[in-house]
Amino acid sequence: MAVADYKKYLAENVLNERRTVTFRSLSRALRVHSTLAKQMLYDFHHNENSKKPQSVNATYIVTGVQNAPAPATNGHTNGDEKKDDVFPSSPYVSSSMPNQDSVPDTAPMASVLLVREEDLADAKSTFESISSIYIYSLQQTVLQDLNVLTDVSREMVNNHAQEDPLQYGEQWGIIQNKNVKRRTGARPVPAPIPTTSKPTIPSKRPSETTPSQTKPEPKKEENAASEQASTRESTPSTTSKPTEKTAPVKREKSNLFSSFAKAKPKQKKEEPITPAESAKPSGAEDVFGGDDDDDADEEPEELFPDSGKPASSAAATRESRKEREERLKKMMEDDDEDEDEEMPDATEPLEESKPIDQPPPKKLELKEEITIQGGRRRGRRQVMKKQVRKDDEGYLVTVEEPSWESFSEDEPAPPPKKKPALSAPKGKPAGKAGQGNIMSFFSKK
Amino acid sequence: MASGSTENRFLRPPSDEEYAPVYRAPSSYNPLHTFQLPSGQERHYQQQYGDMYFLRLAKLKPAVEEIAVEAWEGFSIAGEHARRVERVLDVRQGELCWVAGTIYMDLPLKPNILDDLTKENFTLAPPPRPTYLDPDHPELTQIMLEDESGRLRLAGNMLRSIELATGAIVAVLGTENANGDFEVVDVKVPDLPRQPRRWERDEKQPSQKGGKIAFVSGLGITGSSSDTLSLELLTDYLLGFTGSQSSANDESVPSDASIITRLVIAGNSLGASMTTDSNESSSASKKKSGPKKYGYDASAYNASPITQFDNFLAEILPSIPITLMAGASDPANFSLPQQGIHRAMFPRSRAYCSGPAAAGETPEPGWFDSVTNPWEGDVEGWRLWGSSGQNVDDVLRYLDFANSSGAVDGNVDAEARVRVMEAMLRWRCGVPTAPDTIWSYPFQTHDPFVMEACPHIFFAGNQPQFKTAVIEGDAPLKLNGTDTEMTGTGDNASGPQVRLLCIPSFKETGELVLVDTETLEVEVIKFGTYAGPQEKQ
Repeated sequence: MAVADYKKYLAENVLNERRTVTFRSLSRALRVHSTLAKQMLYDFHHNENSKKPQSVNATYIVTGVQNAPAPATNGHTNGDEKKDDVFPSSPYVSSSMPNQDSVPDTAPMASVLLVREEDLADAKSTFESISSIYIYSLQQTVLQDLNVLTDVSREMVNNHAQEDPLQYGEQWGIIQNKNVKRRTGARPVPAPIPTTSKPTIPSKRPSETTPSQTKPEPKKEENAASEQASTRESTPSTTSKPTEKTAPVKREKSNLFSSFAKAKPKQKKEEPITPAESAKPSGAEDVFGGDDDDDADEEPEELFPDSGKPASSAAATRESRKEREERLKKMMEDDDEDEDEEMPDATEPLEESKPIDQPPPKKLELKEEITIQGGRRRGRRQVMKKQVRKDDEGYLVTVEEPSWESFSEDEPAPPPKKKPALSAPKGKPAGKAGQGNIMSFFSKK
Repeated sequence: MASGSTENRFLRPPSDEEYAPVYRAPSSYNPLHTFQLPSGQERHYQQQYGDMYFLRLAKLKPAVEEIAVEAWEGFSIAGEHARRVERVLDVRQGELCWVAGTIYMDLPLKPNILDDLTKENFTLAPPPRPTYLDPDHPELTQIMLEDESGRLRLAGNMLRSIELATGAIVAVLGTENANGDFEVVDVKVPDLPRQPRRWERDEKQPSQKGGKIAFVSGLGITGSSSDTLSLELLTDYLLGFTGSQSSANDESVPSDASIITRLVIAGNSLGASMTTDSNESSSASKKKSGPKKYGYDASAYNASPITQFDNFLAEILPSIPITLMAGASDPANFSLPQQGIHRAMFPRSRAYCSGPAAAGETPEPGWFDSVTNPWEGDVEGWRLWGSSGQNVDDVLRYLDFANSSGAVDGNVDAEARVRVMEAMLRWRCGVPTAPDTIWSYPFQTHDPFVMEACPHIFFAGNQPQFKTAVIEGDAPLKLNGTDTEMTGTGDNASGPQVRLLCIPSFKETGELVLVDTETLEVEVIKFGTYAGPQEKQ
């Protein structure tokens, strides 16, 4: 058990880094049962505060039946026990009580309240009976806004997203369900939707936040894991390397798409982004709230990254299309996780911003990516758009730039337009005369 | 302060104790596909809505007439026998008779498409109104009885003591007066349909002791961190972190989470701001960015509510099966029956869905079942019929409960909602006001809103306040104040019993409703934070 290490972990996170640790984040970080994690928090809280009062602040969960706000005949009132907003003596509650008493159908009402350490005694006094109390979180200072706790848990969920809850749930102390059904086989394949499979090594991508969490955890070791956990924790050197690996995953994603459309320039365009991406996690130790949303957005794409791929995108592009297709097929077959259905659109915003930041590397061929999904055709294509801008000397210069736009079958393939056809005749793949829709005709030139 | 033992369980130094895994009781689940619309090409919106009223009347007229015959056969006033009249146009002036038909209510503030057209300012969705009644002009309210032949205006004091709404099928007894109005003496409704036995559609499970079905609605996730703290506590509870091993005494409150066999989410899982925001920002961005983009536009669409909801589902799904109903603010079609939220919206949770349906067969229900609103199905052998609350909200706009106490306060309102739900059951129509004031799919061949079977649990989501009641089929219709005669519809000694549930909006109240699978007793668990003195200031 990683029991011995919890003090170090908590000291590091709560005292040194001034973070908030909840029993769940502790339970997941150390891979211990949630009850044990609660006890660890209690122990730490107790010890630290006896050493130095007020050094650690806790929030508690109090579960039980709250007192009826007014002396009521039935003990369990279907109360609006709005203790959190209103005092028991508030007119709202007392005015609602008499009516409730006259209603025969009241239900027993239990409360699960999150309470700050300072309010614990107060809160306890509002309970008629308490079935459990435990420490929910520890932090160094009083939490002014309890909502920050959600950020902690969101971050925790993101960090541990790649851990299969069915596998680790027992360890965490989740109520197990023997009947859970999760689709494992390949779905009927009506559409070539790229899906990532769960890699054979589930937690290849380590969590980025704490070095102590970065232990690559082979799947079969789930039992042995706890013994070895403590030894592994002292190998924080893995942090930077694997995080770099997470970045290429994104590129591989787009490879999947490009395997349908042979769009190579796309990968090139994404490159400027990825260094930033890989840099972010290593620097993320201090930043929580800020990029949480981003993380949440990215997460589905990065779920269960396929780590078996070459890391460099150059190598990836060199791979023949056939290989990629085969790999894709394999993935869809052993679609163990079936996690990601990636719409072609998902990466689009990324692309769209590119042409602005970056001049086109060369005369691009106009590309079209089409996904046919359940009889619906959608995708995006590259079109040449004219942009008028002022250059250094104040002259207006018209530049042709490729940009992406999405289309679906609802829009008819745009008729060949004269102007673009004249300006960029070579850019058109045969049969796809369309570039630009009617709106681009009206846009400012 | 009871149970010091559980208290100590968490508040003590860690030990080497091994924690045996806790297993959740299995769930028996057999949904009905009553409200599934044909998919794709077969779903048409060209039909006329009139068919729905015709179908409903055809279906329910025999039922209500049967009751009326029993009640009014041989009924006489001053020696004049009540005569049965087939069509409303056959009613003769001054003659005591009874006739069945559909209620239509003309209310002053009811949205009217013709008005909107003549004003040439019709909007896509009329702004929701608290009521269609105009308290200053009660005389503008007209209640009519119609069938395929015509309409008959109803009058009389009787109408004030009962609840009626457009779309209900009733039989009325009375006479036509000199004004041509029908003076109502008594009203009969179809009353509860046959109630299936428990386990009628399933093999009876080996009896487990008291499981619970959990109901929640109105999670209202907006993607900001402020609304998810209660959600975290709910997650903790459902996963068993809130002291799940304290099951030693069965009377403990709250119940042990491991006996909760299924979670039903009754609509409005996403906050309303998701749709409004996207509208505003898209119109703003359209002006800025020149060429119009089709399809996905990251600037106009805020994905974080659905992402967060997906995370929430994916977290609890490994432990508990979920039935997810669409609601008014969810990304599903707007008109009832709302079809389930598509699983593509849930990149993480969708692994627990059932696979796409093969042609012509209904797939096995998934562990995570995204279902229609309203929805009907069997859970633990009990028949459930529920909606995300639009039906109750809308019928309430037809009725005036405020005049009893002057103002509508919380309790009167909750009481009214339970009564509306009871009335809908007795009308045998779950969504009577569709298609009049609730948008509805134009059904051609059947009206699914007519209840073929009486549910055991009838729930409505997104209500302002928790409320529950039990109604019985045998009891004389208490809505009809003057109804003194026995209706005699009871098939057996006990008669159907229905548990009514007003499920509060979780975002507003933080309440989760648990229903016992053996006794149908209800329990509420409230999640929240305790505001200390300093925060209250």
